[in-house]
Formats: sequence, structure tokens, C-alpha cells
Amino acid sequence: MRVPLLCIGWAILMQAGSATAADRVLSVTIYADDLALIQDRRDIEVKEGRQRIEFQDVSAQIRPETVSLTASDISIVEQNFDFDLLTPAKLMEKAVGREITIVRVNPATGVETKEQAQVLATNGGVVLKIGQRIEVLRDDGLPVRVIFDRVPENLRARPTLSVTVIGAHSGTRRATLSYLSPGLSWKADYVALYNESDSKIDVQGWVTLRNSSGTSYDNAQTLLVAGSPTQADGGASIYRPQPRRPALQEAGTESGSRERLGDYYLYPLAERTTIANQQTKQVSFLDVQGVPAEHGYEYRNRWLGTAETPVSAKSVYSFSTSAHAGLGDQLPAGILRFYMRDKRGDPQFIGESRIDHTPMGSTLSLATGDAFDVKVHAIVDKRTRLSPFDWQTDMRYELTNALPRAVVVKLIQDGLWGDSSIKTESQKSTRRSAESAEWAVTVPAHGKTTLTASFETKY
Amino acid sequence: MFVRCARLLRLRCRMKLPLPCAMWLIGMGLAATPAAAADVLAGQPTDLSVTVYRAPYRNSGSINLDYLAGFALVSETRTVLLPAGMSRLRFEGVADGIEPASAIVTGLPSGVIEKNRDAKLLSPSALIESAVGKPVELLRSSRKTGKTERLTGTLLSDADGGVVLQTAQGIEALRCSGLPETFSFEPRSDLSAHPTLSVLVRSPIAATRQVTLSYLSRGFDWAADYSATLAADGSRLDLGAWVTLANSNGVGFPSARTFVVAGKLNRENGEVQPIDLGGPILANCWPRGSTSDSPMILRMDRELHFDSLTAGLPAAARAMSLQEAAAPAAQKVQQEQLGDLKLYRVPDRTTVASRQSKQVRLMDRSQVPITTVYGADLAANQLAGPAPAYRLLRTMNNAANHLGLPLPSGNVAVFALHEGETLLEHESGMRDIAVDEEFEINMGASPDVQVSQAKEASTADFAHAEMLPLVPGVGALRSVKLDDVIRVDISNARAADIQFELRLQLPPGGRVIRADHPMDAKNGRPIFRLKIPANGTATLRYQRQHTADRVT
Repeated sequence: MRVPLLCIGWAILMQAGSATAADRVLSVTIYADDLALIQDRRDIEVKEGRQRIEFQDVSAQIRPETVSLTASDISIVEQNFDFDLLTPAKLMEKAVGREITIVRVNPATGVETKEQAQVLATNGGVVLKIGQRIEVLRDDGLPVRVIFDRVPENLRARPTLSVTVIGAHSGTRRATLSYLSPGLSWKADYVALYNESDSKIDVQGWVTLRNSSGTSYDNAQTLLVAGSPTQADGGASIYRPQPRRPALQEAGTESGSRERLGDYYLYPLAERTTIANQQTKQVSFLDVQGVPAEHGYEYRNRWLGTAETPVSAKSVYSFSTSAHAGLGDQLPAGILRFYMRDKRGDPQFIGESRIDHTPMGSTLSLATGDAFDVKVHAIVDKRTRLSPFDWQTDMRYELTNALPRAVVVKLIQDGLWGDSSIKTESQKSTRRSAESAEWAVTVPAHGKTTLTASFETKY
Repeated sequence: MFVRCARLLRLRCRMKLPLPCAMWLIGMGLAATPAAAADVLAGQPTDLSVTVYRAPYRNSGSINLDYLAGFALVSETRTVLLPAGMSRLRFEGVADGIEPASAIVTGLPSGVIEKNRDAKLLSPSALIESAVGKPVELLRSSRKTGKTERLTGTLLSDADGGVVLQTAQGIEALRCSGLPETFSFEPRSDLSAHPTLSVLVRSPIAATRQVTLSYLSRGFDWAADYSATLAADGSRLDLGAWVTLANSNGVGFPSARTFVVAGKLNRENGEVQPIDLGGPILANCWPRGSTSDSPMILRMDRELHFDSLTAGLPAAARAMSLQEAAAPAAQKVQQEQLGDLKLYRVPDRTTVASRQSKQVRLMDRSQVPITTVYGADLAANQLAGPAPAYRLLRTMNNAANHLGLPLPSGNVAVFALHEGETLLEHESGMRDIAVDEEFEINMGASPDVQVSQAKEASTADFAHAEMLPLVPGVGALRSVKLDDVIRVDISNARAADIQFELRLQLPPGGRVIRADHPMDAKNGRPIFRLKIPANGTATLRYQRQHTADRVT
């Protein structure tokens, strides 16, 4: 029978002392920024005395310096991470000075002749010593099989972790191997369907986890941590030429029922799952219907300058994450995609926006894109020097609306530096900060509104 | 060791050797692992819809077939036969550019437990990679007798493209002996030929369902391609446009409801795990140099490399057609409002084939009145040699001008009649134009109209300088210090009078105080409107307030 024979082959290959996989419990804790903690609990066979235990199915991107093995009645001598890979070339290289078996195949008759040979060198070609003569392997191009009797100890198909331990007594015991590995990451993805008739959104949240660690994790208990513990290396700041439009309008102060770890929220997956290598996996964590949402327009003029052409206002949707009239949950960082139904009721994509980790009770305002029909043209009408360090800038903002309904545009003038004051304006502004002034401008259907303001700037 | 065997058997079971394995497992009473999910393949799409969005960062111009930077929302309805219990529902043949994080599945009886997309496709190297540490069958044939020897063994390694295996005879490397060798693998279902999305669901009862899968996919784009035909007298034009949409995915969408969306959407540059297309089995060996090898081998390599470079792919065929003359019967897309975007619906179902660009009629308007204006944009007080002016065709996007519909960005080709034939005159990009906005087509440089700017008089010699009249709205500012008098010469070599507009660019705080022509302001910048006589010239002088150009 074929099967038992194979099993014997397997056992020889793995050699005694290698970790076995019965009743294995894998837990994978994935952090947001390309980091995972893997805890591998399994029964291992330990003999009395010194021995080497190999772990072949660990992450291919394991950070070996973070490995810890705990089990009762063993003491750890050393931990090794071998990354010398088993290839034909390495196999031959390690066989230098050793005996191999060569099988010459007669091309005319197919008759095989077996010979013992000693490998002398592998520099550029394989030089063999057969009996008292020296030959170059397959120099004549005729078929010659090479058979090695064993695989050198350090060569493996994948980088391998091994731990040398001293067992106090022989027997099976529960061991936990834990380590950190990059290559696993997760983020949230949200689907928001906006209903224009009653201004409500339905939001579904999915966690999307990615495994590019080179290893599959079978049947693992998975826990996601919404937070990124600082790693000693990496974490370089990202260059951003322009500050992002802030999504968070008001930070929330509510607590939910989610589990926490320190200041991070935890998202355990309900069922064990297999995270296959090179897989993108999504699991639902949020499903809320009929949350009130507001649709508006926003235009931000970054400095007191003129635009060459009218510029589209941003289309903005805002909603709350509060338990009352909101999503009622913390939102882990991710991308929120907005959909809206067309005239025949098919959902269509209307834009997306990134959010950061958002506490419960917050107000979010997300820009989905540029409004085709609502445009703002900022114009410097006049800039006059009042005194050597005092300038007056007369701004005119022309707001146009090609929609069949009136819209309100939140017009923000940035770049006021705190030393600019508004002398006159055609509509009352609110000064949200020294840096910017804000107007809520109503533009009639198919109409136009002009707003003027005169700024005095010390310079 | 016993446990190892059991695990091995389980593996073999997963590879569909059902009967003996099941018996073994029952016999050994293994601890129960979660019930294996049944593999269910969703039927072919029965209803498809594709909504194409433009490249988010292109403001004007047409699509680039070599790199389609837009995206699409694809919705597919498929019929699914779900058994009771847990099943892994597989959607084969989704677009290769799928953003798996955006996938939405609706219509399933109970909750979706998880959605997966495996980036690995069925390929020779994927077969080898997934067989490492597992039993394989080695086939070795004799060239002489044609007899094939079948050996069972274990694949030990595929590291760095070399393959090492173990048989009962010992350890060998694949294809290093010079004999024809290959593997035969167990049948498997976990690697797909096409990009596949799978969903793990639990159904209380067996049921047939209509399931809709929606996802965003890259590798699409569209633009409007306008063609305008100028009337002989240049006072009117006929404007027609095509929607040109393209799909660079390896998957086509037959008989799909098709939409395109105009407007600029916010897109986050989310990273998508690329599909691993796999590769051949390399079977790298140990060094195989022979005694007759010469150092020339390096150069040969280089030549080979050169060959492979020159054997590049042919440039993608450009399917775009500039030529006009739309069939009058062409069905037009229907426009509707989608939030703050414009949705265009292709009236009939159409096939968005793989690696195809397709055109659908967007609009046709005739007899649009236009004015032709020549213009130049000059930085105030900067000397400029004679340079051609640009020509603009200008109209308003409203009903009075036979327009009054949103004009999505794209490319405009302007044709003119010449001896009964329609010839291309100019082509330029165009941004999104809303209703009631000014609509200009830039016709490029016009060598017949030349503009130069020079200094006429220096303020140092103020007493002798001719005093220019004050610009309207400027009071008598005797105290204001003025810059040099600047002269702009415009020449017209055309046989007709032309309208000319000079737009000045001033430094912050700059003002034009005196000028010998009436001055206006447009978009916050001074503008002079002049009529230049046929085959004549005109001269314009202005003087601005002296300001040391501010350095910010």
C-alpha cells in the first residue's frame, strides 16, 4: 500500500524532535500597521536532555529576535533562525568532499550504470573524482542522474526557526511559541448608501485583512487591534504637500461596548478562520441602517488669491457616530465608499474618503468629490497698500449653481495668519480660528451669488 | 510520527481522495476540525452592469489606451445553488483589476462570514510552491524506449527556482540529469485559473438564490470626444460628441447595462494586493559549466538580452477615431443627476469587451453661434518679442446658444470645410463645463496675429513723456509713482477685422493706472478689448503703478 510508505518517508525527513501539530491552536493578532503577533500553542514531544526543536510553519517574514517559546519543564539553550535555502546548487556545494551516487544512462540502450563519486569542486561546473580518475559532471552532455543520500542539516525549503532546549524529563507538553511578524495588516472598509429622499445613510463596515507574509495560518483565532504600537524601526513620516481636509469635525466622548486593549479597540473575529498566503479577506463588523446624514458643499480658498477659472465646490456628507442618531460605534481607520441609487434604483459609486480611528460620538464630514454644478470663483478685486506694513485686499467670490434647487455652500477663506481682519463684508462671517473665516452662502437654483469681503492684513 | 501520518492523510483527503481517507479518519478518531465548507461555484453572470468613471486626476483630454487610469463599478447577478450548512461560494472570472476591499455581496440568505480574494492563480510555479513538503509523483521518461517511470516522492524545496525532491532512491534535483523529468500533481480546487472572489456563507437550508456581487475595478477609463465643425463663415459650429470608454481588463462584460459618470470623485490611493500571475517551473541546477566553455558566455548573455528587448509587444492599436460624421440615427446616452455627478446611461445593453475601447454617442447640437476672439496673455512690464496670439471660439453653454447641457471633460477636435471636404483644424483638451458657464475652445497659436510688448518711455524722462489718459475708475493720482510706459503692438495679416483681447498678469497689489484704450477686468485680471483692422496693426500703451515686485 502506498500511503504508509509515504508516511515513513515523511517521518525521516522531519526527523525526531520536530514539533508536531496535533491540537494546534493558532492565534493571530493583527495590528493596523503591517504587524502581527502570532501565538502558536501546540503539544510538543520533548525528550530528556538537550535537543533541537524545529518550527517549519512559522511566518516567512518572522522577526526572529521576537521569538519566545514557553513550555513547562524545559530550559532554552538557544534559538536559531536558518535562512540557508535548499536548492540544487547548495545541495551540490555542501556535498563537496562527500560521496554521491551517479547513475549514467546509456542513450542508446537506456541501461543504467551506478557509480560512487566524490565531489571535488562546484566552481562553475561540478568536478567529480570517480575511482582514481577526475571527471566533469555531464561534460559530454549525456544524461547522468545524481543521487544524494541526505539533505545537509542547515538547508531548508523555507527559512526555519529552531530552538535548542533541555528537557527536564521526556513526555508531551503544551508549548506556546509567540513572535512578531510583518506582512499581515488590516484596515476597515465602509460601504455607505446615501438615500437622497430622506437624507439617511446605511453603513456597513468590513475589516479587510491582507496576508503577504509568505505563510498561511490555518484555522486561526483572529483578533484585530485598531491601533499601531510604535515599532522601533520604520515609521517614517509621509510627505504631504497639502494638509488633508480634516474628516473629523468634532471628536466624540462616548464609550461603547467594544473590548479594549489599553487605548486600542479590539475586533475579534467570531469564528476561526484560515488566513491563506496572498489572500485579502473581509469580515463584517458593523451594519447600521437609517442614520441621519447631511449633504452640503464646501469650498476652501487657501490664500487671498485669484483663481484662473471657477473651481468646483467639494461635495460633503456629514454624519455622527454617536449612539443617539448616529452609527453608534467607534470606527477604525479605513476608507468609506459612498453609493447612491440612480433613477432606476441601481446603486452607483459616488466617491470615497479616508477616515482615521474615530471615537464614538464624533461628527464626521467627508468629501466625496467635486460638485459638477456648484462652482466658486475667487477673485482679488483690488489690493492696496494702506501703509508700509498694512495691506487691504478686496475679495470677490462668485458662487454659481446649475442645479434645479438652492444649495448652501460653506465658503472658507484660509491663509489669514491671524493678523488679517475683515473690514467690510457683504454677509456676516464666522471666524472659526484666527487662520480662517467662514461663510454659509445660499445660492439659488440656476443662480449666482456674489460675496465680497475686504481684508486688512499686516505685512 | 503517527500524528504526522494522520496529518498527511488529512491533506490527501482535502485533495479529494474521499473514500479510504474518510475511513482512516473515522478509524483514528481525530479531534474534530471545523466542518469543511462545501465548495460552490456561482453560475455565470445573468445580469451585468458596468459604470465607468474617469481617471480622477485628468482635468481634460482623452484617455490613454496604454494606461487606463480610471475605474469602474461592476455589478454581476449570478444564480447560486446553496446547500445547507457552510459553503465557500466562488465567483470566478471577476475583473483582474478588482479592488477586493470594495466588494459587496447581496442576496445571500444569512450573513456572509467572510469574503476572500486569493491573489494566487493556477500556474506551474504555484503548483510547485504549494506542493513543497507534500507527496508528488515524478515522471521520468526514456528517450530511447519512450517508457515512463513513475516514482512517488516528496517535494523538499523550490527555493530560488531550484527543485529538490526525495524518492525512495535518495535525494535528487529536478531536470539536472539531462533526462526528461516532470511532476504529476494531485487534482486540486484551491487554485483558480481566473481571478476569483470567494465568500464563506452559512445557510440554514438548501436554496437557490440570485446573488449580486458589486465591486470597484481598475483598468477602465472614459472621456468625451467632441468634434466641432465650423461653418464656412466661422460664425456657427455643429458640435457632436462621443463617449469613448475602454476596458483594459482581461475580462469582458457581455451584454451589460453600461453607464459612465462625469464629475470628479474623491479617490484614496488605497493599495491593492497585486495578482500573482505565477511563472514557469525554472528548475535551476548546480553549476553546469563544461570543459569547453569559454569566457565568451557573458557576451552571449547580453546579446540574448538584447534580442528579448527588441521583441517587445507591438504598440496597442489606437481605436479612437477622430473622424466625424456621426450617423444621425446613433442612439445617444441619457443623462441624469447622480448626487453631484452626472450619470450617462447607454440606452441599450452593450458588451464591454476585454481590452476594447468603445464609443457611444453623447450629444449632437447644430448651429451653435460662436464668436472668434484672438488673445494674448502677457505678464505686465515684461518685454516679449513678437509671438503668435491664440485663437478662441467662444460661446455660452446655455439654451440660447443651442447648448445648455453639462459638457464633460475630454478632447475637442475642430473641423473646417475646405473645398467641400472636412479637414481637421485643431485639437485641444477641455475641462468639465456646467450649464451657463462660458465655453471656450482653444484653437492654438495663430501666426497671422503677432503680439509684442516693449518699453516705450522711461519714467526717468517724465517731462517729455506723453501722458496717457487715466484708466476709468482711477482718480487723479498725481502722487502715485508710475512705471515705464509699455507699448503692445498687435499685427493682423488676415483679410478680415479681428477681435483681440489682451490679458495682463500683474504682481500682487499691482494696478494699471493709465492706458490709451478702455480697460476692463475679467476673472480679476485687467483686460483690453481691441478691434484690429484687416491687414492692419494696432498699438496699445499702458502704465502701471510702480511696485517693487513682492517676494513672498
